[in-house]
Amino acid sequence: MSLRFGYGTNGFANHRLADALDVIAELGYTGVALTLDHAHVDPYAIDVKDQVARTARLLAERELAVVVETGARYLLDPRRKHAPTFLHEDAPRRVDFLKRAVDIAAELNAEAVSFWAGVRPAHVSADVAWQLLAEGCAEVVAYAAERGVAPGFEPEPGMLVETLADWQRLRDLVGEQLKLTLDIGHCCANEPVGVEECVRIAGPHLVNVQIDDMRRGVHEHLEFGTGEIDFPPVLRALADTGYTGLVAVELPRHSHAAPEVAARSLTFLRAAQWLGDALDKIARDPAAIATLLPAARRGVGRAAAEDARVRLLHAAAPGADAAAELYRYGDNDEKRAVLLACPAPDLVRDALRSNDTRLVAAALGPGARDLPAAEWRQGVLKSVFMGLPLSGVDGLAERADTELGRMLAALRHEREAAGRTMPADAVELLERLH
Amino acid sequence: MRIFDPHIHMTSRTTDDYERMAAAGVRALVEPAFWLGQPRTNPGSFTDYFDALIGWEPFRASQYGIRHHCTIALNPKEANDPRCREVLPLLPRYLAKDRVVAVGETGYDSMTAEEDEVFAVQLQLAREHGLPALVHTPHRDKVTGTRRSLDVVKESGIDPGMVVLDHLNEPTVGEVAGTGCWMGFSIYPDTKMSPERMVAILREYGLERMLVNSAADWGKSDPLLTLRTGEAMLAAGFSADDVDRVLWRNPVEFYGQSGRLDLDEDAAAEATFAGNSILRGGS
Repeated sequence: MSLRFGYGTNGFANHRLADALDVIAELGYTGVALTLDHAHVDPYAIDVKDQVARTARLLAERELAVVVETGARYLLDPRRKHAPTFLHEDAPRRVDFLKRAVDIAAELNAEAVSFWAGVRPAHVSADVAWQLLAEGCAEVVAYAAERGVAPGFEPEPGMLVETLADWQRLRDLVGEQLKLTLDIGHCCANEPVGVEECVRIAGPHLVNVQIDDMRRGVHEHLEFGTGEIDFPPVLRALADTGYTGLVAVELPRHSHAAPEVAARSLTFLRAAQWLGDALDKIARDPAAIATLLPAARRGVGRAAAEDARVRLLHAAAPGADAAAELYRYGDNDEKRAVLLACPAPDLVRDALRSNDTRLVAAALGPGARDLPAAEWRQGVLKSVFMGLPLSGVDGLAERADTELGRMLAALRHEREAAGRTMPADAVELLERLH
Repeated sequence: MRIFDPHIHMTSRTTDDYERMAAAGVRALVEPAFWLGQPRTNPGSFTDYFDALIGWEPFRASQYGIRHHCTIALNPKEANDPRCREVLPLLPRYLAKDRVVAVGETGYDSMTAEEDEVFAVQLQLAREHGLPALVHTPHRDKVTGTRRSLDVVKESGIDPGMVVLDHLNEPTVGEVAGTGCWMGFSIYPDTKMSPERMVAILREYGLERMLVNSAADWGKSDPLLTLRTGEAMLAAGFSADDVDRVLWRNPVEFYGQSGRLDLDEDAAAEATFAGNSILRGGS
């Protein structure tokens, strides 16, 4: 089952909603997480009914699914961010807002409406805060149930409910109708167990998923690849839970570059999903590497292909014969990955016989450690001859000897005779050795 | 006129051909794996050939701005040799490669039991790998062979839209039209089809699911007969758009089902393949 990726409109705060939906749909997203806000379907506007009807039409025309998000910063109070919450004296305004959100979600046929607890004000005790939260949530959940909208409650770092354990406590108070919105990034920031484990725990209760990168202990939504999360196994774990709802990118601080960020994000997620699925196949059948290795570029794109191939090979851990077959039947990109991930002297020798600079460079990595000195020197000499930088040669400082110095000096002599020069790094080495 | 030759054996052609093809408007092609005019005797000579089809040959084509793709299979003629059938377990490794856009050529040569089996196995491989299948119809007893091929296709469960029956002619086209399979025609200087006969078939059967190729190989053949067919279509009153449909959009649609066509106009050709070039006297 393939995951359905969406994008949060709070990451398109500088776009008109119709324009944001155009860009998101054109990029290939399946849906949007629609944050109700002053510029994007304002629940307090006089013409809210028209706005909702128009939004429903825009979504339908673009075949976008939708979840409704309620995390707008200054929609209810222009001076206090996120206020009032369930935990403030004027909590009924929050409840009223969430009921409006439920109504809008019902009109839009949204897959869920998402909400959170709020930060506990200093003057409100923990016991009172939990009581206020449970009462408010119960009212919202009952209202949502009447209208057939799934209520997804989101643990949010720094708020009263900030972990899955907190959410479980709230559910015990409110009842089983309370469902879950999970932000994958938050799991990395503040959960006591790993992200994959969080996903497995959350799975049965999920009605909405947000996704972004993050670092441990820092609640900052980051673009994919700039935080600490290893997404391929996380996406696989999410698919394994049987979750079929939207997985929407949550990057509310990237509106300034929204179209580019959204494009990069989908490319990243599709690649991560492919790699996660491939690693899962290899875990069940290591021989699957034979057809996954050649497919890696199509799965993850050219730029990420080599890292993906190496990772697949490490996961498959082929024996010497299997590695030799992968090398034999591989194209030169696959051969290079085998040389990097699971080299053997015979494969290194084959690569050093080739005229492909990328293979020769890979062959002179750690894989060349078991080559006898004479062959290793010939390899280094050939790489200099081909114009490769010596910085890529593994263990050069320890293995370079006077014989290599002599060979390099001879090459320089020939080059000078022909009026050609030697690369500076080779000159430096031979002068040190000779 | 932009031309996509959906069936041509460039391994057997010279760089002069590439030059003439590029000048004639050929921008992309598919080279099916087939026999080499002389029998092979072990699986290794197949895999070396396959390696060239995904390696050296796309590089040669790229030097003339032509996008090269291939199909991989054990051909029907050599399916009869047990030494060659040993290549079958190796096919999945090659069917997973980037520029492999179909399983083929498969089908019948002499309609033996061995050919039956290899044909069926390879249609299943096409299904497993999400690839179209290129079916070679036999040179002898062609009508029977075409009917039998259609039966095997039907039995396999493969979507007929993922199958082309190739080397069709007047006696066999009617068997395939209406089955949902694609119809391939090889235009040859003397045998098989001529441009004029091809035009008559297009008039009678329409342009949908029609593929026209040169099938040029090591024998007497002409890589420019695709162009000549386009010219004959124009002379017979077909529009430029009709020609574009048959010679470009149809093959793009058929092989595009693999998800692996690479028609990026802007991609620059590499100067060498694995450090080797086509410039004699160079590296």
